[in-house]
Amino acid sequence: MSDTSSSRTRAGWLALALASMLVIGALWPSLASAQVPPRFYWKTLSGTNAVPVIVNSMSGNTNPFDPAHLVAPGANLDATLAIGGYARMFTLLDRAAMGAVLLPMGRISGEVSAAGQTIDSSARGFGDPTFELDVNLVGPKAQKNLVDVLRYEPGFSLDVIADLAVPVGEYDSGQPLNLGQNRWYGRLGAPIVWQLGPWVPGRRTTLELLPAVWLFGTNDDFEGKSLETDPMFQVDAHLTRDFTEHMWGSLDGAWYTGGTASVDGVEGEKLDNLAFGLTLGYQINDNLGLTMGYKSTVNDSAPGDLQMDGFMISLVSGWHRIIEGARRLKGGE
Amino acid sequence: MDTVLQRTNGRKAMRPGDLSRSLIIVGTFGVVAALAAPAIGFAADPPRPPNIVVILGDDLGYSDMGAFGSEIATPNLDSLATSGVRFTNFYTHASCSPTRSILLSGVDTHLNGLGAMDEFTAPNQMGIDGYEGNLNDRVVTLPQLLRDAGYHTYMVGKWHLGKSPDKIPAARGFERDFTLLDGMGSYWDDTNFSALVPRSLYTEDGKYLTGLPKDFYANKTYTDKLISYIDANHGDGKPFFAYVSHQAPHEPYHLPREWRERHVGQYDIGWDQLRQQRLKRMIELGIMPADTKLAERLWFVPDYSLLAPATRAVLGRKMELYAGLVENMDFHIGRLIEHLKEIGEYENTVFIFFGDNGAEGNELAHMIGGTPGTRDFLYFAGNWSQTDPKAWGDPGSCISYGPGWAQVSMTPFSQYKAWTADGGIHNALVVSGPIVKRPAGSINRGLMHVADIMPTLLELAGASYPKTYQGRELPALLGRSWGPVLAGGAEAVRTSQDVLAWEVFGNRALRQGDWKLRWEHKPFGKGDWELFDLARDPAERNDVAAQHPEKVAQLVALWDEYVKANNVVLPSRSPFEALEDTMPPRVPDDLGYPPLVNKRQYTPPKDMMADPKP
Repeated sequence: MSDTSSSRTRAGWLALALASMLVIGALWPSLASAQVPPRFYWKTLSGTNAVPVIVNSMSGNTNPFDPAHLVAPGANLDATLAIGGYARMFTLLDRAAMGAVLLPMGRISGEVSAAGQTIDSSARGFGDPTFELDVNLVGPKAQKNLVDVLRYEPGFSLDVIADLAVPVGEYDSGQPLNLGQNRWYGRLGAPIVWQLGPWVPGRRTTLELLPAVWLFGTNDDFEGKSLETDPMFQVDAHLTRDFTEHMWGSLDGAWYTGGTASVDGVEGEKLDNLAFGLTLGYQINDNLGLTMGYKSTVNDSAPGDLQMDGFMISLVSGWHRIIEGARRLKGGE
Repeated sequence: MDTVLQRTNGRKAMRPGDLSRSLIIVGTFGVVAALAAPAIGFAADPPRPPNIVVILGDDLGYSDMGAFGSEIATPNLDSLATSGVRFTNFYTHASCSPTRSILLSGVDTHLNGLGAMDEFTAPNQMGIDGYEGNLNDRVVTLPQLLRDAGYHTYMVGKWHLGKSPDKIPAARGFERDFTLLDGMGSYWDDTNFSALVPRSLYTEDGKYLTGLPKDFYANKTYTDKLISYIDANHGDGKPFFAYVSHQAPHEPYHLPREWRERHVGQYDIGWDQLRQQRLKRMIELGIMPADTKLAERLWFVPDYSLLAPATRAVLGRKMELYAGLVENMDFHIGRLIEHLKEIGEYENTVFIFFGDNGAEGNELAHMIGGTPGTRDFLYFAGNWSQTDPKAWGDPGSCISYGPGWAQVSMTPFSQYKAWTADGGIHNALVVSGPIVKRPAGSINRGLMHVADIMPTLLELAGASYPKTYQGRELPALLGRSWGPVLAGGAEAVRTSQDVLAWEVFGNRALRQGDWKLRWEHKPFGKGDWELFDLARDPAERNDVAAQHPEKVAQLVALWDEYVKANNVVLPSRSPFEALEDTMPPRVPDDLGYPPLVNKRQYTPPKDMMADPKP
């Protein structure tokens, strides 16, 4: 006979919405694997902050710190890569936007074949920090308040992104393996999130695409030589689906092409590779999201093919001033 | 009277004795003088008796139709209103099955078996005639008599008047039916509302269904079925009576996705402003007098202006769904209207539309499954736990809009379903079709009652109400034919001395003229008789019992007569018996109180402002 149940329902809905809000849009090892994860471009409340801690264990014939995926035939590299970062959602001309900075760090080691010899090499330290700006062009307007959050459904959303990596990471021109790339590079892309069916936690399904082009500057001191790389085109695809309100999974795919590298004018092979993977996500609480995944290149047995696989685990913490304040008040009741 | 008899050509003719008995019955209610009018009014009817379509909106509020001041778009119901007549002073009962029992029997609930709802029969009412919880066999039904008078009789939708083979629609006069026997249920499937009644029960043409049709959706399927019944017999020369007992807009608010997004954000303004807007339109339309005041906002309903935007959005979403559901029902009613036009039957069809009781402010699902650790809570966890607002409207969601919006639906009246304030029993009524001789779109303020429908339609069909049926003596009809009013020969079928009375759950009321005597459980009522002058105070804001003790005594005496005449047994238990202990203390709804949270920031004069000194 009272409005008690309404209040309960209201509280429940807000909790779910806010939990989603704070952990979605989290940051992922985008540069390490040259592929952003599923649900990366879901939008949240303007003013939301997020800090990711991402750990990758990767192996293959390319340096995972290098988004150009320069293949070193015969190499057998192992890397442990961590990425820390910070992102903030904001409103730009009534559209959702995100600014982020990512700092890769870790170690890499392995055997590298050069001039008919196989040598061991390793590196550790910090990679090149990367800045990203994402602005939504098509889709719902920015979520400027909780009402917008509650009513948000992506429908068909199209963004533009611009990434820029600053070459200040650890780099030794005498070493074949480095964390920094000693050149400017970046990416332009158009992320798409396409909602398939209802936008109900526990039943959400999306098809997500990211066509992008990577652009690379010149490394004038690549073991004493000049390294140039043609633009590399990449399309990421994810089919994601909620399993419960708190758990979801994704089938991931990526296609790389282009990115022909030239060392002192000597061209290597153009990339033309496919990779597939799986991702599982779990929302631990209103502020924390856990994700695990595996991805590997396929049809990669030729010596010049890109070979790379890796496990990833990430923990992303998100918060918003209003939400935290409400939680403190509620906790004090 | 000859004209009445002439209209029976081609059917079972009314016998002179029947007509005499009819006259005697009606005459006992003191309206003999008015009887000439319906015959005159019906004299212009086409040779074949008209079809009859009675449509119920389940828990639809008084102000929820566009033609009654709503912002909800109901173009098809409005079209009936603008071609027919709107009645602004129409009463039903305070809850579903009692109203339906009166509609179909014409007899008081305490005699027809619904003296108590089946779900709430009190211990002291068990086993007493009139309190069976279903439409008992001591009454004859409207479809039985219309069938006997040569009508096809069809029913679709909610029944709620009994489930055993002798109580289902096919046994009570309906030739064809597609029926939800329960009082509520999913619109998408047969999920019901308690662990012990997990599945809704449906019948079709007298058989209990083992499943539901493919692509079942209540509003659509009911309409599809009715159209198929009409078409199956169309052209055989017989008129039809169709009882379209829509489940909508009863909770849970289940509706297709495309109908959910028609009012997004519109209700963020809240129930207080919306009630004011509706009342303004009602006054502009002539539904309510210009000096009408709104009923108090019930003391436990939040002041919307104090709510945060997100809270407003969530609560407003419930009203968005309700509005969408009403519009979806209107759409399917429009399909029926359009079909009747296509087959050439619309012009010869009488439509009667109303809500079965006040809008629903109680949250039944919470009452049933809202207590963790209970059997029904577990049942709800498995069947009714789609609580995310994005899922509202889907199977498994269970949303009702609560008391704040129910008050909007009942603008300008007080309270809502289950209570005997006008918010529980006062409904909008539309009648259209060939029997209406009043100006199209006109408004009538005569005091009407759902019990009037049976004598009205019997008279329209040229039938009469018998003294006995199948060997059993029948109770007297409660209502009066609307013939004189529909014919334009009278403004009302009741005088200021006639009495209407209600009792359900122990809540009771009696109306004579403009005076209303009311007894309700605390804290909605005072647990004592209250007196209201509805002419001055239709929203029942001011109890004037203390100022008019002689009037109270007079009306209480009438109440006692009603109790005696109708075997009213006040229940020893009630769903509201402990309400006072579970609700906040009752306080007035003074606008702007307390100033503590209503006063805005003080802005000093600009020339008195300065930066802080170092």
